[in-house]
Amino acid sequence: MGTPESGYLVYGVVPGDVESTGDGRGVGDAAVTTVAHGRVGALVSEVTLDRPLGTPDDLMAYQRLLDSTATAVPVLPMRFGTAMADIDAVEAVLAEQHDQFAELLEQFDGQAEFVVRARYAMDSVLPEILDGNEEAGALRNQIREQPEELTGNARVRLGEIVYQAIEAERQRDTQRLVEALGDTVTACRELPPSHDEDAAHLAVMVRTAQRDEFEDALRNLADDEWQGWATVRVLGPLAPYDFVQATGNGN
Amino acid sequence: MTAAIQPAAGGGNGGSSGDLADVIETILDKGLVIDAHVAIGVVGIRLMTIDARVVVAGVDTYLRFAEAVNRLDLTSSEGKELTDVVQPGAGMVEKAGQKLGELVGGGSQRDREPRRRREREED
Repeated sequence: MGTPESGYLVYGVVPGDVESTGDGRGVGDAAVTTVAHGRVGALVSEVTLDRPLGTPDDLMAYQRLLDSTATAVPVLPMRFGTAMADIDAVEAVLAEQHDQFAELLEQFDGQAEFVVRARYAMDSVLPEILDGNEEAGALRNQIREQPEELTGNARVRLGEIVYQAIEAERQRDTQRLVEALGDTVTACRELPPSHDEDAAHLAVMVRTAQRDEFEDALRNLADDEWQGWATVRVLGPLAPYDFVQATGNGN
Repeated sequence: MTAAIQPAAGGGNGGSSGDLADVIETILDKGLVIDAHVAIGVVGIRLMTIDARVVVAGVDTYLRFAEAVNRLDLTSSEGKELTDVVQPGAGMVEKAGQKLGELVGGGSQRDREPRRRREREED
C-alpha cells in the first residue's frame, strides 16, 4: 500500500443515532461528520497527511469538538492523532468493538468529566512544613549563617525535605478532596501532579443532574477548610478523557 | 476573599498559553487507542511530540524550594507580609480558559492544625 495523501481523523465514539449537523468543525477547520455502525458511531473529519499534526490549533480544535459534543451526548475520546485511511476502516473498528463501545457509552450517558486541580498557597504551607521538621530548621540556620558557596548540599537537602513534605500533604489533601466530593461524583481518578505545588489533581465523573451539588461541595472545601491553604480550579465539563482506558487497549 | 466559581473567562491574566497548557494536559496520551494490528487502515500520522510532564523531582526542584524557604525567612524577619513574596498571585494561576472557571481560595489561613503557626499579622 502506498502512502495515502489524505485520511480520516477519528475524534471519538458516540451513540449510533447521533447525526452531525454539519457545522461541527474539527482539526484544520474541516467539517466533522459521523460514521455509524449499529448502536455506535464515530466523529471523523478528513485530514491531509502531508503535515505533522499537533499544533496548538490542532489540539484545541480536537478538544473543543469533543467537549462540546460531551455536553450533549456521551462520547468516548479517541487518542489525539488517530487517523484511518478510509471510512471503511473506521466502520471496521466500530464493528469490531461495537459492544464494548456501546456499553461504555451507556455507562457515561448523562455524565461528564471534570478535572479538579488544587494548588498550595506556599506562604501557608512552607511555615507549617518548617515548623514540623527539626532537620529543616537546622539546615535553614546553616544556610543563613554560611556563605552561599558552602551550603550547596544543605540547600539541596532542605529542598528535598520540603518536596517530600509536600508530597505527603498532597496525599492527605487529595484524600480530603475525594471525601469532600463524596457521592456528588460517580467516579474518581487521581492524576499525576502537574506542578510541584499541586495540592490535588483529580479527574471525576459527574452526573449532569448533580453538577450543582458537585460545585457546592467543591466551593465549600475551597471557601472553608482550604481557605488560604490551597486554591482550587475546575476544568469541565469535558469528554471523559481519563475514564476510557477500560477497554483494555493501549495503556 | 470569597471563593466563587467564575464565569468562563475567569483567570483574568489574558493570553492563550494557559489554555494551551490545559489542553495539552487534558488530552495528551489520553483516549481510546486503536490497535493497529486489529484495524487495518490505521494511518500513521506524524505527530509533533510535546512533553507536558513538568513534575520531575531533581536538584533544580529542590533548590527552588530551598530558595522559597530562604525568601520566607528573610521577609518574615523584616516583618513583611509573606504573601508579597511567596504566594502566587492570581496572575500565576493559569487561566481556566473556556472552561468552567476557577475557584480561588486565599486570604485568611485555614484553621486546620493551627499549632505553632508563624504569626502573619500585618504590622
